[in-house]
Amino acid sequence: MVKPKVENAPFAVQLVDVSKIYPGSPPVEALLNLSIAVSPGEYVGIVGASGSGKSTLLHVIGTLSRPTSGAVYIDGLDTAGMSDGALSGVRSKNVGFVFQDFFLLSGMSAVENVENGLLYSGIRASERRIRAMNMLERVGLSHRIKHLPNELSGGEQQRVAIARALVHEPSFVLADEPTGNLDSKNTDSLMELLATLNSEGTTVILITHDPEVAAMSKRQIVLKDGRVEGDSLS
Amino acid sequence: MSIEYKRNAPKSHLSFFDTLKVGSSGLRSRRLRSALSALGITIGIAALVGILGLSESGNADLMNELDALGTNLLTIEAGEGFGTGTVDLPKDAPAMVRRITPVYEVATVTKIPGNVYRNDLIRDGRTRGITVFAADLNLLKAQRGTVQKGAYLTKVTSQFPSVVLGSVAAERLGIKTLTPEKKIWLDEKWFTVVGILNPLPLAADLDRAAIIGYKSAEKFLNHDGSVDKIYVRAYPEHILDVRSVMAATVNPEKPEEVQVSRASDVLEARAAANTTFTNLFVGLGAVALLVGGIGIANVMVIAVMERRNEIGLRRALGATKFHVAIQFLTESLLLSSIGGVVGIIAGIVVTATYSVFREWPIVMPEYAVLGGMVSSIVIGGVAGFYPALRAANMPPTEALRTR
Repeated sequence: MVKPKVENAPFAVQLVDVSKIYPGSPPVEALLNLSIAVSPGEYVGIVGASGSGKSTLLHVIGTLSRPTSGAVYIDGLDTAGMSDGALSGVRSKNVGFVFQDFFLLSGMSAVENVENGLLYSGIRASERRIRAMNMLERVGLSHRIKHLPNELSGGEQQRVAIARALVHEPSFVLADEPTGNLDSKNTDSLMELLATLNSEGTTVILITHDPEVAAMSKRQIVLKDGRVEGDSLS
Repeated sequence: MSIEYKRNAPKSHLSFFDTLKVGSSGLRSRRLRSALSALGITIGIAALVGILGLSESGNADLMNELDALGTNLLTIEAGEGFGTGTVDLPKDAPAMVRRITPVYEVATVTKIPGNVYRNDLIRDGRTRGITVFAADLNLLKAQRGTVQKGAYLTKVTSQFPSVVLGSVAAERLGIKTLTPEKKIWLDEKWFTVVGILNPLPLAADLDRAAIIGYKSAEKFLNHDGSVDKIYVRAYPEHILDVRSVMAATVNPEKPEEVQVSRASDVLEARAAANTTFTNLFVGLGAVALLVGGIGIANVMVIAVMERRNEIGLRRALGATKFHVAIQFLTESLLLSSIGGVVGIIAGIVVTATYSVFREWPIVMPEYAVLGGMVSSIVIGGVAGFYPALRAANMPPTEALRTR
């Protein structure tokens, strides 16, 4: 297969003919010849029922697992031949993860958790603190800087996690069911925050099973049985 | 194109200081557990350092004692005769010994038959193991002994029924203070106690003795003037030569019937025996250390399982396998070295306290402190190695899974 030429302004993430097959009997085809391209500044909602390959897609886009075949470009970089260490480097620079369970470190304050987003980027500690403070302010938590995760509400915790995902200015934010553990009020305000951040230039990829949540994004991709069933862009 | 991405590919970093910070974060958030698992190492190291310190301090005390007593004292006594039973030293032996050039002090003692009692009312036989010795006036000087109470025999007192008691003898006779009327019943005669000696480490048999002068022995106890034992001080650099000629000098006809010994050898043997004991306890300390190391390995394995999500998160944030491994290895090293440092301090405190209590010089060998530090670090490294490897090789997708 001929690899597409990387343009001057590459996609934030581009999947070309990606398949992920888990060995076994019978083998599980989690993703099958799937191609997705997300441009910088987009707000994409990927929606699918459980078993549609959502989690696998999340891991492949986030470079946490390699596809069985096909190519994954992150910010124009071909990740195919990369070592595990090089992939880590890509994550430290280009990918911002937001998880359903927040995954804040319990012994650390809000600002320290946000700083963790820059921990492996090679930026000096004093600079990390300044950027983390600014980022907390952007997500509206400048009054919660010193609070420990267990002193914050669920909505606030997820805001801290979003700040952590954004603080190193990644090519895109990859949010996995970010509202899964939030009530409706917090869900609304979190989605509002994502929309605001997107309008300020952040590329957002939201993965969810909830069509209502996906509907709040600008572009929806429907996933079914490891294939793209619909893309509102095309 | 593959060349191009390699040039532009971003890299993950983690500075040394950040590694320390990340490695200690797990300890800080689980303080009690960390303290308890470090305690195992602390006990092991404290035991090792304490035992080595105590044994060195004790030996240093023994060596000081040896220095004070000198290693140049020879004891000469009659050995077994060939088929003739016990033999005596020749009468002129002390004079002969004095003629050996490097010899500068010669003192003799002789055991006198006779029983010692507190007073004349005590029944025969209840002698409490106290023996009577006649001794030269320079005995105390030759032994480098000291007087606890009163005075040693003098030219004057040695002519009268006067007696000086060894430390154990005085205790057994219940004599603690000296008054001019303090007398003991020695071979059916009253002897005035004029002095009590401090223990004589180089002649322990004299501690249980009632010592009188040769003159009074001849006058009151019908002693014939023979000698049993000769204590000889010679210049230390010649002591071996003196020893080699001693037997032939004392009894040129039958040198094999003369027994020459060096009193300080006993103390040196004691120091050697201490070392054997120390080795045993060092072995026990090492076992404690091993158990402590297993404790740390156990805690680290549990930490890796519990903190799966943290490992996944860190991989998602850009940590490499190496960063994850080094984080857990650092944590384990911190645990063991904190335990080690506390253990070293505890060992030093124990050594110092006990040494002060025993009036020993405080000696803390560097190899114990250094060895304690090095072994705690090695244990931390070994204990943390497998858990760190396990954490590093956990697939991120697996680590991020919840429930």
